[in-house]
Amino acid sequence: MTGNLLVFLGAALASAVEMVEALTIVLALGVTRGWRAPLQGAAAAIAVLAVVVALLGPALQAVPIDLLRLVVGSLLLVFGLQWLRKAILRASGLKAPHDEDAAYAGEIEAARAAGRSPGIDRYGFVISFKSTLLEGLEVAFIVITLGVNQGATAIAAAGAAVALVVVVVVGALVRHPLSRVPENTLKFAVGVMLTSFGTFWAGEGVGIDWPGADGALAALIVLTVAWSLLFTRLLGRAPKAVTA
Amino acid sequence: MRRAWDGIVDFVVGDDIWIAVAVALLLGGAALLVRLGGEAWWVLPAGVPAALWISLQRARRAARGQG
Repeated sequence: MTGNLLVFLGAALASAVEMVEALTIVLALGVTRGWRAPLQGAAAAIAVLAVVVALLGPALQAVPIDLLRLVVGSLLLVFGLQWLRKAILRASGLKAPHDEDAAYAGEIEAARAAGRSPGIDRYGFVISFKSTLLEGLEVAFIVITLGVNQGATAIAAAGAAVALVVVVVVGALVRHPLSRVPENTLKFAVGVMLTSFGTFWAGEGVGIDWPGADGALAALIVLTVAWSLLFTRLLGRAPKAVTA
Repeated sequence: MRRAWDGIVDFVVGDDIWIAVAVALLLGGAALLVRLGGEAWWVLPAGVPAALWISLQRARRAARGQG
């Protein structure tokens, strides 16, 4: 039950972070070039992603569970550590925070500068399709890996779907990039979850018997939060130069 | 094909290849310990934060180099 809730939350939070970034690009295109082509591009990308999840999810279920846990757990662990690394560097001031308003302004400028062909707006369609697909692939990867390993693909997909609906509805209402979303805090939380799940599953994959069995997952989450906050604090104290 | 492969590598490995290398080494070490009949559950909880700390130090040094 707790594992399923964590899978839902992990998928929803990861999806929200990526979808906010895709929304910024679609909004910039829609505002400057009209809504039709960017919305078609985003819808086409979401359809491709749905097919990827629908095909890959069941295919992975045919893989022996120990091998699956090792491979998927390792990937989740690497992925989670990359998210945590970025979030800690930003929180400690060593990396410039992601600025959704600046990204939006950049996209507006690029969209205005791009030429327009007669008929369908190919630029609006292609940029919207590519950005939604690229951001969505991370979401698809997280949804599939979390869902398949926990035997809860539908729950993980539901988490992503809820995030999609929330981000799209809020984006449609405000028609502005969601710059007030605490992107780094979400990234930190997702990094903690992916790292903890990845450690647990990859460990099981190599034959580790965790003390406390499934209860070890909760302990790993607490431990990961603790050392991540400690690292943020330690790095925050050091003299630094900020990189973009 | 080459670009697709580079894209996949970049997607999985991310900003610092050290993290992927460290995870592979830690899992290899844990698997070896399990094979030898030892207690291996502590390897990942101890090694994963150490690997990230090293990666963060690399990033800090790189940032200092640019600053």
